[in-house]
Amino acid sequence: MSLTSKADQFKQAFREEGREVLVDLESALLELNDNRGDMELVGRVFRALHTMKGSGAMFGFEDLATFTHNLETAFDEVRNGRLPISSELIDLTLAALDQIRAMLEEGIAGAPVADLAACAEILAKVRHLTGKPEKHHDKAKTATPQAGSEVGTGTGSEAATGQVREWSIHFAPGPEFMLNGANPLLLLRELKQMGGLAVRASMAAVPPLNELDPERCYISWEMVLATAAERDAIRDVFIFVEDSCELTIEPFLSPAEESAQAASAAASAADLTAQALLDKREKRGGRRVYDTPDNASSLRVPAAKLDQFVDLVGELVTVQARLSEIAARCDDPEIAAVSEEVERLTSSLRDNSMNIRMMPIRATFEKFRRLVHDLARDLGKNVELTIEGADTELDKTVIDQLSDPLMHLIRNSMDHGIEPPAVRAERGKRLTATIHLSAKHSGASVLIAVSDDGGGINAEAVRNKAVERGLVAAGDELMESEIFALLFQPGFSTAKQVTDVSGRGVGMDVVRQRVDSLRGSIDVASKPGEGTSVTLRLPLTLAIIDGILVSIAEASFVLPLANILECIELTTADIERANGKHIADVRGEIVPYIRLREHFNIRTPRPEIEQIMIVSTEGGRYGFVVDRVLGNCQTVIKNLSRFYRHVKVVSGATILGDGTVALILDPERVAQDAVRAVAHGTRAGPSVAAIAAAVKYSLRGRSTPPQKTV
Amino acid sequence: MGITLDESKSKAVIGLEGAVDISSAAELKTLLLRALHGGKKVRVSLAGATDLDVTAVQLLWAAEREAGKAGVGFSFAGPAPAEVSAALGEAGLQQFMVPESKVSVDAG
Repeated sequence: MSLTSKADQFKQAFREEGREVLVDLESALLELNDNRGDMELVGRVFRALHTMKGSGAMFGFEDLATFTHNLETAFDEVRNGRLPISSELIDLTLAALDQIRAMLEEGIAGAPVADLAACAEILAKVRHLTGKPEKHHDKAKTATPQAGSEVGTGTGSEAATGQVREWSIHFAPGPEFMLNGANPLLLLRELKQMGGLAVRASMAAVPPLNELDPERCYISWEMVLATAAERDAIRDVFIFVEDSCELTIEPFLSPAEESAQAASAAASAADLTAQALLDKREKRGGRRVYDTPDNASSLRVPAAKLDQFVDLVGELVTVQARLSEIAARCDDPEIAAVSEEVERLTSSLRDNSMNIRMMPIRATFEKFRRLVHDLARDLGKNVELTIEGADTELDKTVIDQLSDPLMHLIRNSMDHGIEPPAVRAERGKRLTATIHLSAKHSGASVLIAVSDDGGGINAEAVRNKAVERGLVAAGDELMESEIFALLFQPGFSTAKQVTDVSGRGVGMDVVRQRVDSLRGSIDVASKPGEGTSVTLRLPLTLAIIDGILVSIAEASFVLPLANILECIELTTADIERANGKHIADVRGEIVPYIRLREHFNIRTPRPEIEQIMIVSTEGGRYGFVVDRVLGNCQTVIKNLSRFYRHVKVVSGATILGDGTVALILDPERVAQDAVRAVAHGTRAGPSVAAIAAAVKYSLRGRSTPPQKTV
Repeated sequence: MGITLDESKSKAVIGLEGAVDISSAAELKTLLLRALHGGKKVRVSLAGATDLDVTAVQLLWAAEREAGKAGVGFSFAGPAPAEVSAALGEAGLQQFMVPESKVSVDAG
């Protein structure tokens, strides 16, 4: 591997780690804003800045390290009680964080670029707060080397205050240390900046040349550091590498003190078990982490590799369906056995691969704390963000696409929903408004809600605006849900004033488009004066689902298994008993049914006995009448081309084992569509058969040519 | 940057240029083994090096120890550049990079 590519690899690894550190830093800062006396949070902020500084310098992000160093100094002052936490400091640090983020992404195409003028301004303000001149995080100035194994170096600035103590430090990099891109020399350099440092390197562990792993560090160090800094501050130097090295930090004892302690230790040594010794060492600050079995318990894998993996599993599922089909035709027990085994393995491989892509939504939710904080400041409103269900997991692809819609919804709530403090006071509401972000599972979907306790939506105003825009006729009877749905029409905005935040009517349309592309739906609930809640219902996964394959005439359809409750027969006698009404009696309960044949305009005679698939939807239980139920199928979802995006009842297509194409129906939409058709006195739904015929041309990424088309 | 091995009848000279770090460690090991294998006096020139990291130091140290055991001459041709020496000095590694090693037995 070339030098550049290896360096790039380390930089990339630091970027990934750095992004996480910055997310943590941001959330710690925002929490600190609410709990200003919490020294633990101050410590978290300090350590995050320290990590960014130290690791940044190690991985060649010099600007980042220098910039961060000045902020770190400010938080050191806070830690030492010399500087109070103020809104100004938090806002400055948040602004600085944006610049650090830009510096971290430097060189990545499309990433924001750090604004040097803004950086200088931030630093000037920070210096004004701390009353300290700018401190450059210089690459350590090199000390005059001394012969011999012990090297005494100059004193660092941090040791200038407080009582100086001596610490004995043992540092031995672990096997993976260098491979992680860390450099022990830089860590020692950083230690040196804390105070007077005497270093002794040991070569004792270096093996013979031919057995030596050239990419491993065998050298270990014993050091004595004279500093006013606490043990935690010394440990912070190693914060980025502590999992991959052996590190003990103990108060330094002179030889006389050591022998006195050894004598007293000898007296009680018999009582101490090895475990107790280990515990003691842990308590005193020592650690030996790299050799614990947990070390390799998780891996960082690029998302693209994961997507490729899932795509391959999808192809495998398709091929397995063909194999099952062939096995069923062959009537050969050996082939049948192999086919069943492959089916079982494919199924569990599919579940596992889907599981790998599931991620908690926490990071997406947490990043809105900053948005709410900044917007509240800009709009002069007091708003707190509460989060519920942050551990809810959903497919990474879905999570990736959720940020934009949630951002628009939150901005909209902050700008239009939540009243200014004066109005809230007038209405007798709590001055601090709340935006609540929540996530929870519901069957094969996940519900993401953005709720506020603002003024609610004025349905009449929305309606009037829609009439004005010609979206609905003046005399149309509209249900409240239909009125609210108008908000998501392109260019629709009831805001009297376009603000920087929202009001151009672009955002809500984006929300709808994005949610549509995720095959989700939007539900709005609002009470005037009490608030609004927008709920996004999204599928858990976008790649492969379990489905039931059904047919109507020659056409095959897949219904998601998660929606299906049961399947019952529909005979001519049943139809007669119901006097031609589309209702079925399911163990005494009346369930309305939708005859898909009619709904989809399939003009072939219906069979004597039909099947009703009872499905559960948001609007209740419905029966979908089909000709035949063909059985279970693992369904690899293929997107339809954009020509079919207006066909809402179809959420995708899949290729069956015999090479034919089946459309995947969205039961929610089918039910809504049918209810609407009945309400408007029409029966005919979209001509799905026509769509199906065209689908074969629009399927993307097909692995096998169809042998028969619908 | 780069590592070179020049072998003449009497000696093998390893030249280190630029930053010699983990990315070139495997190559340095190969060349050191090859140089030692020849049984000739080994000289290492650090004059062109701008940075040596721990992987380079421990390889050179291990090679020197190996040479000592085999009775092969191993020496550093001149001191390392001041910047490199200083950086190694900070980490207590300077002593392992003595310009003319005692194990150098062959004047050739």
